[in-house]
Amino acid sequence: MKEYTDLALDIARSAGAHFADMRIVEEQQNRVYVRRRSLKLIDETETFGYAVRVLINGAWGFASNTILNKDNVAKTAETAIAIAKASAKVPKDVPAEMAHEDSYIDTCVGPCEEDPFKIPNSEKAELLLSACDTILNVPGIAMAWGLLQFVKMHRIIANTDGSYLDLTNYFTNPSLNAVAVVGNESQDRSYQGGARQAGYEFIREIDLVGNAKKLAEEALIKCKAEDCPVGIMDLVLDPMHLALTMHESVGHPTELDRILGWEANMAGRSFVKPEHVKNLTYGSELVNFTVNNTLEGGLGSWFYDDDGVKMKKFPMIKDGVLVNLGTTRETVPLIGWERSNGCCRSDDFTHFPINRIPNLYMEPGPDDNITPDDLIAGVDKGIYIEGQGSFSIDQMRNNFQFGGDMFWMIEGGKKTKPLKKVTYQAQTTQFWGSCDGIAGKKFWRPHGVMNCGKGEPMQVMRMTHGASYTRFRNINVGGAKL
Amino acid sequence: MREKDEIKNLLNNVLAKVSAPEAQIVYHFASNLASRLGENAITQNMGGEEEYVRLSIAYGKKCGSSITNKLDDKSLTKLVERAEGIAKDSPEDPEYMPPIKPQEYSDMPQRFFDDVAKFTPDDIAEDILKTATIAKEKGLKASGLFEAGCATAALANSEGLFAFDKYSNLEYSTTMHGQNGSGFASENNESAKRVDAERMARTALETAIAAQNPKEIEPGDYTVIFEPRAVLDMLSFFPWNMSARDAEEGSTVFAGKVGQKIFSDKVNITTEIDDPELPVSPFGEDGLPVRRTVWVKDGVLQRLHHNRYWAAQKGTEPDPILYPLFITGEDRSVEELIADCDKGLLVKRLWYIRYVDRKEMLLTGMTRDGFFLIENGKIVAPLKNLRFNESPMVFLSNIVEMSRPERVDDWAKVPGIMSENFTFSSKTESL
Repeated sequence: MKEYTDLALDIARSAGAHFADMRIVEEQQNRVYVRRRSLKLIDETETFGYAVRVLINGAWGFASNTILNKDNVAKTAETAIAIAKASAKVPKDVPAEMAHEDSYIDTCVGPCEEDPFKIPNSEKAELLLSACDTILNVPGIAMAWGLLQFVKMHRIIANTDGSYLDLTNYFTNPSLNAVAVVGNESQDRSYQGGARQAGYEFIREIDLVGNAKKLAEEALIKCKAEDCPVGIMDLVLDPMHLALTMHESVGHPTELDRILGWEANMAGRSFVKPEHVKNLTYGSELVNFTVNNTLEGGLGSWFYDDDGVKMKKFPMIKDGVLVNLGTTRETVPLIGWERSNGCCRSDDFTHFPINRIPNLYMEPGPDDNITPDDLIAGVDKGIYIEGQGSFSIDQMRNNFQFGGDMFWMIEGGKKTKPLKKVTYQAQTTQFWGSCDGIAGKKFWRPHGVMNCGKGEPMQVMRMTHGASYTRFRNINVGGAKL
Repeated sequence: MREKDEIKNLLNNVLAKVSAPEAQIVYHFASNLASRLGENAITQNMGGEEEYVRLSIAYGKKCGSSITNKLDDKSLTKLVERAEGIAKDSPEDPEYMPPIKPQEYSDMPQRFFDDVAKFTPDDIAEDILKTATIAKEKGLKASGLFEAGCATAALANSEGLFAFDKYSNLEYSTTMHGQNGSGFASENNESAKRVDAERMARTALETAIAAQNPKEIEPGDYTVIFEPRAVLDMLSFFPWNMSARDAEEGSTVFAGKVGQKIFSDKVNITTEIDDPELPVSPFGEDGLPVRRTVWVKDGVLQRLHHNRYWAAQKGTEPDPILYPLFITGEDRSVEELIADCDKGLLVKRLWYIRYVDRKEMLLTGMTRDGFFLIENGKIVAPLKNLRFNESPMVFLSNIVEMSRPERVDDWAKVPGIMSENFTFSSKTESL
């Protein structure tokens, strides 16, 4: 491949590019989708393509192609150069530049003990058919669906820094859902374990068939449960629920491109400002968030981001105070920082790499002996929430309303009865500031997100979050009209 | 871009390699220029094209599919081998539907225009420059997405069916921010003659200027006037609930409602196929010719969407397409709706809409990029955004008046709507 990347980079240099890269992406995907007792989809996909990105006189050009030969590579590089010249017609106040980065020559392969592409499709189909059948056999269940998705992503990135990176990652993404109908009520309950950078061993570990009946039974419990109470009360949230809360209210607001206003037309901006770093109290002193793009099994652990920055681990929020941001090589010079921390990724070869949420998780509490039951025991009136449901947050990432997948009333320190249609509303820093209890390390769980949408045209990205069970005080519950 | 005959030959060549008794192949090509505007400058600028095929194979009811964007002969042979291998190994699908016989397709309103296909990065940059200049003149920051593209789609099967479609699309949007408020506008069409960057920019500018320094308003139930963009946002979850099968199983808001009055008498919802302002593909599911469908008439639910399998089970015709959705309006403008409103809230756009209760289609979301107080028939003040918790079922039941429908996006043509007792549940400080 190097002869092609050299060709593209030489053409870019000759055109005066300060920076250029060529990214070749080969992807294999395998999906099996069952709805009710019907095998709706069983397929394998292979795609191949590459993109050339050039920065000329502070303006970007980007072009992609699917046919790899010298003529097409040259044509693609020249198209990117022409596009960069068009970009210069509406220039930035400060010409774009890339922060310094070391050059790397590296080959890396992500974790995969059991290659999912070697597992017979029939085995995957039978697993989902069996799981859906288990759900549908529970009286009161109207519908079940399940999906297994496996992705092998192979990237070659070469850039004018001199880097040449050959990177392979495997992603395994399961889903299972039960839909119950009781009278006029219908409720869902879903597998909530998320995705992982792993092979088929992850599917064996989570035992979808073994857990299917519980999903069905809890969907029915929800149908018959009382509606969400209204009032100010405490919340105990499980790690899978918190993965979404932190994604929306910590991950997105700390993306530097949003802070700079570049996402204003779609995803929005952020209440966070660059001067908030080391100054903004984001949460209580218990709240510590870590970025770890080297996390084993993390969906964002890509070894190097698409800027060619080696991925790393660093604190984002320390003892409740914001101490860093998610950045790219283009964004950091604009706030006077010298180096990117490696949060620039693209979802495929047709898309320009942008600032993405990294693997971002909340550290467990300082006391390993604290259990979820201890947190619940400290609540006089509140709600315990498992898993992810409704989620909605404003374009500055301030006001949010979240639901969940399973809810239990807490009264007098005990879980007393199931609930349904629970929502809570809060403002980001008020919410994290109300955190007063986090369970210990042994209750910490990761949760891989495969479908984070951002950018225009929309890009769908992967990352992993994580948390232990956590308690929040005095949250506004039940504002939705039911 | 390959022409129709070349694509037909390509697909037939793949089908000729298939040994299975039944097969269907779908082809897609798209070329796209996409430029992003942020803080009055181009921040990203992209161009590319891609084509791919999806081959579906069946041995009896044992099915398998494979997709590739490598269209050389060797890769296509591998595609066939892969799909056949998957199908042979699959469990039977009790709901499998075989390929359909060749169909007759009507001439449809034109949806491919050379003026968009010939767009260059320089052409787009010129339109972005107009937008950024208009924002800068008033001290505002513009962001946006400016896309020009064309595409072809084709479908062939082992019964000898061949269906073909070719279309173009120019799609611009911009958000303009001042210190204390913002405005949004967008335009999209198959022809460049119907998209005007300057008109779009001035619409966003006008809203952004009017939206500055908003005042607070308490959450509660209000009469609202939704502009067509906001109506479309409010109805975005509607099509996902139109499955006849899901309704029969009791899991959607339409369960047991066919034949019942569910909305205001004023509501008529159809899928139209011959409107030159919103042209559609000649074919839908598995190559079925598209047809006009009435979903709601005078507020009464007439029909829900049947795919081929469920239609066969129910002894009815399948519905090849659901989009584009049309809602008929009334012969007046949004400005006339405002003039007819004693006290209400004008909503330009909604944001981050999600279910609160899927069964009842109860949604939450927020106002964004222009939210105004109306008193005595006039806009009197910009407002800080509010979060709503409301159902489109209620919204369409409480209609007071509607404006003339207009194309908002490439999937719907809807009017502005004045509706009563719309529930806003909390404040959001974000502008």
